[in-house]
Amino acid sequence: MTAGTHKGFWPDRATLLAILAALVCAAPVFAVAWIALTGQSDDYLLHLARTRLPVYLAYSVYVGLVAAGGAALIGTGLGWLIARADFPGRKLFSWVLILPLAVPAYVAAYAWLDLSQAGGPLQAWTGGLFPTVRGGWGAGLMFALVLYPYIFLLARDAFTGQSADAYNAARTLGAGPVTAFWRTSLPMARPALAAGVALVMMESLADYGTVSYLGAPTLSIGLIRAWSGAGSLVDAARLSLILVAIALVVFSLERMQRRRARTTAASGKHKPAPRLVLTGWQSGLAVLACLTPLMLGLVIPLARLAWLALNELAAPGLIAAAFHSLTLASISALCAALLGMATAYALRGGGFMATASARAAGLGYAVPGAVAAVGVIAILSGTQGLIDPAWEALTGSVFPILLTGGAAALIFAYLSRFAAAAIGPSEAALGRVTPALDGAARTLGASARETLWRVHWPLIAAGVCSAGLLVFVEVLKELPATMILRPFNYDTLAIIAHNYAADERLGEAALPSLLIPMVALIPMIFVARYLSRTRTPSGTG
Amino acid sequence: MSQTQTVLSVRGAQRRYVKKGQAALASADLDLHAGRITALLGPSGSGKSTLLRAIAGLERLDGGEIALGDTVWSNAGTHIPPETRRVGMVFQDYALFPHLDALSNVAFGLKGKDAKAIAQAQLEAAELGHKAKAYPHELSGGEQQRVALARALAPSPAVILLDEPFSGLDRRLRHELRDRTVQTLKAAGATAMIVTHDAEEAMAVADELALMDAGRVIQTGAPEDVWMRPVSATAARLLGDVEIFEADVTNGRADTPFGAVDAAGFEDGRPVHVLIRPQAFTLSLDEAGGFAIKRRRSAGTHLVLEFAPAEGDTPHWHAHTAFPSPLHEGDRVSVELDPAYVTVVKR
Repeated sequence: MTAGTHKGFWPDRATLLAILAALVCAAPVFAVAWIALTGQSDDYLLHLARTRLPVYLAYSVYVGLVAAGGAALIGTGLGWLIARADFPGRKLFSWVLILPLAVPAYVAAYAWLDLSQAGGPLQAWTGGLFPTVRGGWGAGLMFALVLYPYIFLLARDAFTGQSADAYNAARTLGAGPVTAFWRTSLPMARPALAAGVALVMMESLADYGTVSYLGAPTLSIGLIRAWSGAGSLVDAARLSLILVAIALVVFSLERMQRRRARTTAASGKHKPAPRLVLTGWQSGLAVLACLTPLMLGLVIPLARLAWLALNELAAPGLIAAAFHSLTLASISALCAALLGMATAYALRGGGFMATASARAAGLGYAVPGAVAAVGVIAILSGTQGLIDPAWEALTGSVFPILLTGGAAALIFAYLSRFAAAAIGPSEAALGRVTPALDGAARTLGASARETLWRVHWPLIAAGVCSAGLLVFVEVLKELPATMILRPFNYDTLAIIAHNYAADERLGEAALPSLLIPMVALIPMIFVARYLSRTRTPSGTG
Repeated sequence: MSQTQTVLSVRGAQRRYVKKGQAALASADLDLHAGRITALLGPSGSGKSTLLRAIAGLERLDGGEIALGDTVWSNAGTHIPPETRRVGMVFQDYALFPHLDALSNVAFGLKGKDAKAIAQAQLEAAELGHKAKAYPHELSGGEQQRVALARALAPSPAVILLDEPFSGLDRRLRHELRDRTVQTLKAAGATAMIVTHDAEEAMAVADELALMDAGRVIQTGAPEDVWMRPVSATAARLLGDVEIFEADVTNGRADTPFGAVDAAGFEDGRPVHVLIRPQAFTLSLDEAGGFAIKRRRSAGTHLVLEFAPAEGDTPHWHAHTAFPSPLHEGDRVSVELDPAYVTVVKR
C-alpha cells in the first residue's frame, strides 16, 4: 500500500520482516562459514581428506546425477504429456502426479529395499532377477521417484505457456514433429527444466535418511558422522562449507540457464498450441505413463509399509512423536508463510533493502538441513559464549543452556532452510494484485486496510496458504537437521522411523514411516490442486 | 451555451519526484466543468496520467492545488486519501477484481442494503444485466470496459476519470465503445476527464479539450477552436499534421514559400512560427507554377499530395484534398492558402 506515499528512509513493516527472513535464512550459512574459516585446525579433516572425502564427493555427484537424470526424464515427459496432449484422466493426473512429493525419499527407500532385498517378494516372484534397490543408483532412483514432481510442475507450466508459433515455424521450415520438439519446444523449456533439476539435486544432496539406509555415503553422511561421531563443530562446519559450495555451483549453473532464458522468451502474441488428442492405444499408453510413477513413487511404497505396519505393534512413543512432528511443522509453516508474504510485499514496494533481503533469504535454498543445523548450533553456542560471563557476573548463577531451547532451535533451522520456499508462491500470488487494482479499490471508497482485506487477501490467500503447506510437508519429512538439533528424548515421526529402520527393525519403522506421507498427503492435495488450477487471469482480459 | 460551473480545479500542480516510468508535473492548470467531458491529450511522458492519478489521490502533489469546489483535495501539505474523494476511475486495463463477479465488482464501492440492487441497475443500464454472475475473465474486452465504467459510476462520484479507456480494444470496437461511453457519461450527467494520446479520439469525445506537454497544460478550449487556433507549434502538432515555417514579421506579415500571411498583432522583427494545416493548401494545375507533385497517395478518406518546389525536391509538404483529384505525380502546380487554416504564433 505504498501508492501515493513518498518512500521514507526507514523501511516499512514488510521490509523489516523481509530483513528478518533474510537474517533467519542467511545467518546459519554465515555462521558455518565463520566457524569453518576461523576454527582451530585438527587432524580429523586432513585424515578425512585422505580417506573418506573422495568417496563422499563421488557418491554425492553420482547420486545427484542419477536423481536429476531420472527425475528429468519422468518430469519432462509427464509435463509435456499433460501440457500438450489430451487423454482420459488428463485433468486428474495434472495434479495427482504432484502427490509423490508427500513421500519422503527415505520412506520410499524403506519400502523398496524391503520389497527387493534377497528373500523379499520381488526376488521371489522374479526368481531372483529383480535387482535389489541399494547403493548410489538405488538412492538416486528413490529421489527420482519422489522428487520428479518438481520438474514435472515446472515443465508442465513451461510447455503450457509456450506459444505454438515457434513450433509451427519449425514445422514450416522443414522439421518433422519430433525434430521440431527437440529444436524448439524443449530448448524453450530448458530454463524451467534447469530450475527443476537444480532443486532435485539440492534435495538429494541434503538427504540423509535415504543414502544412509541404502548405503550411498554422500557428504551429508560425512557431515553427520563428523558431528555425532567426532563431535567436532569445526569439522562439521568445514564439511558443510564443501556441501554449500557444491550447492552454489548447482544454483549458479541454473542461474546461467535462466539468464539465457530471456533470449528464448517467445516474442509477440501468445498463441497456445492445440492439444494433441490421443485415442485408442495411444491414450492407453499415456495413462500408463502417468500411472507408473504414481505406483512406483506413491502407491507401492505406502502399500508395502501399510502391510508391514499391520503385522507389527505400534512402536511406543509414536503418539508423542506425531504430536511433535505436527507442532514443529505447523509452527514452521505459519512463520514461513508470514515471512514469505512479508518479503513478497516488501518486493512489491520495491527498494534496495527488499531486493537484497529476498536474495539473501534465497540462500536458504542452497542450505541442506544438516548445514542449517550446524549453523544454528554455531550461532547458539556463540551467543552462549557471549552471554554466560556477563550473566554470571550479574546474577552469580549459570545461564540456562541455549541449545536445550530445543524446539525453538529446530524451528530456526527449518525456517532457515524452508522460508525461502515460501517467498516464491507469495510473490507469484501477489503479482496478480496489480497496482491498478489497489487504485480501483481506493477510488471506490475502500481504505488501505479495507483494500487489504477485500482485494489482496482473497487474491493471495490460496497462494500464501499453499506456500505454508509446502513448508509444512517439508518440515514433516525433514530428518538430518532434526537429528542434529533435537533435544534429548524429543522424537519426531521421521526420527522414530529412521532409528528403527537403521536398527533393521523395519516392522516398527513402518507405521511412523507411513504416517508421514499420510499426514502430508492432505496439505499436498491442496497444494497440488492450487498449483494446477487454471490461473485466473487478472482484469487485463 | 449556458454558463459552465467549475466542479474541479487544478492550479499549478507540481509533482517532482516520480517513480521510474512516470512523468513529472511541472505546473499544470485545469478546470473540469459540470456535466462536461474534458479530453486530456498529450504524448506519452507529458504527465497526463500523473495528473489524472493526482486528481484521483493516487499520487501526492509537491506543490500547487487540486480542489473540488471549496474543498482542497491536494496541495503541498494536504492529501485527502482517494477513498474519501468521491472520484470514479476507469483504469487502462480496467482493473476489475478478478475474484469478484461483474455484479460484485460494480457493487464494490456501494454500501448498505441496496448495494446489489443499485449495482444490478447499473449493469442493466450497460446492457450487461445477464452477465451479473460472470467473472472478469469470462467477459470480452468490451464487456470488461463497460463493467469498469458501470463500477466507477455506481457510487455517483463527483468526478469520473478515464485513463486511456479504449486503448486495449480493436479499432471497430473502439469506435463503438467510444460513442457508448460518451452516451453513458452524458446520461449520468457526469463531470468527466478522459486521458488519451489519440488526437482523433480526443476530438471525438471532448466537450473541452486540454493539451498537455512536458508537465503543463498548454492549451484548453473547444476541440474545433484548439484545432483551428493552436497556441504553439507543439499544440498544433498534438492535434494532427501541420506544416511549420519559421519567419520574422515584416510590415505585419510573415513570409512563407507560398507568399506572406497576415501576422497582425506581432511587432515587426518578431520571430514567429507559421502553422499551416494540410487542408489550407489548394493546388491547381499550372504549367508555370513554382511547385510540383512528388507523390500522391490515398489516406482512406482523402487524398494526400506531397509537393515541393519545382526546382530541387526538398523539402516536401503535404496537402489534403478530397477525392477525386485531377492531379498526378510530376504535375506542375501553383499553391494557394486558405487563411482560415493558417495560424501565426510566437516562436
